[in-house]
Amino acid sequence: MAESILTVRDLSCGFHTEEGFTRVVDGMSYELHAGTTLGLVGESGCGKTVSALAVMGLLPRPAGVIEHGEILLKGELISDSTKQALEAVRGRRIGMIFQEPMTALNPVHRVGKQLLETIEIYQPELDKAARQARTIELLEQVGIPAPEQRLKEYPHQLSGGMRQRVMIAMALSGNPEVLIADEPTTALDVTIQAQILELLTELQRSHGMAIIFITHDLGVVAQICDEVLVMYAGRIAERTSAKQLFRTPHHPYTQGLIHSIPRLDTPLKTPLPTIEGVVPPLNALPPGCRFSNRCRHADKRCDAEVPELDRCQPNHEVACHHWRRVAE
Amino acid sequence: MSTPVLEIRSLTKFFPVRAGVFMRKVGNVHAVDDVSLKVHRGETLGLVGESGCGKSTLGRVILNLLRPTRGQVFFEGRDLSELSRPEWHAVRRDMQIIFQDPMESLNARHTVGLILEEPFVIHKMGTPIERRGWVQDLLERVGLPKDSVSRFPHEFSGGQRQRIGIARAIALEPKLIICDEAVSALDVSVQAQIINLLLKLQREMDLALLFIAHDLSVVRHVSDRVAVMYLGQIVEQALSREIYERPGHPYTRALVSAIPTPDPDLHRERIVLEGDVPSPITPPSGCRFHTRCAYAIDRCRQEPPRTETMSTSHELTCHRWRELPAPTV
Repeated sequence: MAESILTVRDLSCGFHTEEGFTRVVDGMSYELHAGTTLGLVGESGCGKTVSALAVMGLLPRPAGVIEHGEILLKGELISDSTKQALEAVRGRRIGMIFQEPMTALNPVHRVGKQLLETIEIYQPELDKAARQARTIELLEQVGIPAPEQRLKEYPHQLSGGMRQRVMIAMALSGNPEVLIADEPTTALDVTIQAQILELLTELQRSHGMAIIFITHDLGVVAQICDEVLVMYAGRIAERTSAKQLFRTPHHPYTQGLIHSIPRLDTPLKTPLPTIEGVVPPLNALPPGCRFSNRCRHADKRCDAEVPELDRCQPNHEVACHHWRRVAE
Repeated sequence: MSTPVLEIRSLTKFFPVRAGVFMRKVGNVHAVDDVSLKVHRGETLGLVGESGCGKSTLGRVILNLLRPTRGQVFFEGRDLSELSRPEWHAVRRDMQIIFQDPMESLNARHTVGLILEEPFVIHKMGTPIERRGWVQDLLERVGLPKDSVSRFPHEFSGGQRQRIGIARAIALEPKLIICDEAVSALDVSVQAQIINLLLKLQREMDLALLFIAHDLSVVRHVSDRVAVMYLGQIVEQALSREIYERPGHPYTRALVSAIPTPDPDLHRERIVLEGDVPSPITPPSGCRFHTRCAYAIDRCRQEPPRTETMSTSHELTCHRWRELPAPTV
């Protein structure tokens, strides 16, 4: 196995609210290996984005806090770094792109100016001409035609796909070792999504980045991820390779998710298998397994005892008391 | 074949583009351009296409929420543009719409009971006691708890809110429902529940559905027939299975090949289209798809293609469909 670029150990974080503290991510651990893509999957509110923001040191302060846990970048602890030390990591060694590039780009500045600004911060040694050349090089890398022209445009003049390419160019400007992509294709059309996914795969090959890909779309996961973490209500439900996840899902939640997507070979207009009920609210979680109220395998033990991640196969862990029974 | 519930002929909707000090008209957004479709009883017609292709505008023009620039809409054989106000009022009961975000289409200050009673009040149906009974029936049919009547929309999850939207749409026993991205904002596990509910109601009520969505796997699952839209025009129309197994138009082929499938062992040939959708203000000459089409020749740049029949109930609009290689799906 390749070396671990990013290691997260027992991360718990959440927000102070008027009704008290709400834990959003609970005891999350994972390793991201060099040159691979790790998928974080789960439904809205499962904590996938918040866990990524915690890694970036971007939890909104003062409400958002990391309760405990360690985040290591190439073996170096970054989770309790000072603000300055974090600045050296954020954006430079770990880049991030978001779902809606329109909200991440400044609408009143030209694209070129915004790109120049990031290059100024990450590569202060470059002179003006070299910076200018670098912006054009970056836009070319992300497949933007006529980059000199685009530099003079404002974000609203670009299409959604182009804006996402500009965001990727900005994220690349620091030559990051890790790229966190938070639902980067969710707002895009299928044909544009295909372009962006292809671009990310190419850039990973040429730059050797490791990618954390946050999505709720299992189809996208199957297409570009090597490893997958399935999250449910703030905890990891299952962790394995993308191939094993789809071939032999062990957690009842993962199974439910996979089966509830209409596929190109499901008989037309037949009822889809569903997961009944809804996710419990984060401030009223059950004491035992968080999926127990929607699980048909649940029993008394599930109501009382939180299941820990258990190895069910080599490179496959599942947090379910009954995985042996469920897998059959 | 019986009269279709909905038939539209050469429907066209242009939005004027105004600019300058005097807001003079400088062009048109060709949102919907010469579209013809039919939807029969108990049938779902899926309408797919990328953002900005005009699919939502089409839904709104059908319901007369927007006035068409040209073309006709027939509901059970009657031309809607010729109806008097009272006649239109009566027809409107039979045509309903469900939107993507129920939070925006449900009045946040009204209880669910009031929201669901409103259609009956507008159409002056029943006494208050009767109406209360009908609301209870509606809640049961869409799988919401009985005590929902006294609660407000914000107290419900996204999936439950969509159930409220559906309950309101079926209240007057319509014949046609337009679902405009009705399941797009929902998480997969909830999305499956809502799809099942729509399919169940369609069977029970023999409903005609116009299912507008951009998620091609979902559209395939719920639709009997599928129409593919590109820059305001229908480029291909066929039975659901046909469209996905034997797509004819190069655009449909690219769309179908780009569907992410939850199966890492399935290695399909992906057609990645170059570039973006052109502006609907100045659509390309000839075939509108030619700027992104790998098979485009001079003829495609000059002459708009006609709609041709590929096989029974499979139509497409492409000059070169006969010469194209067999689709690799």
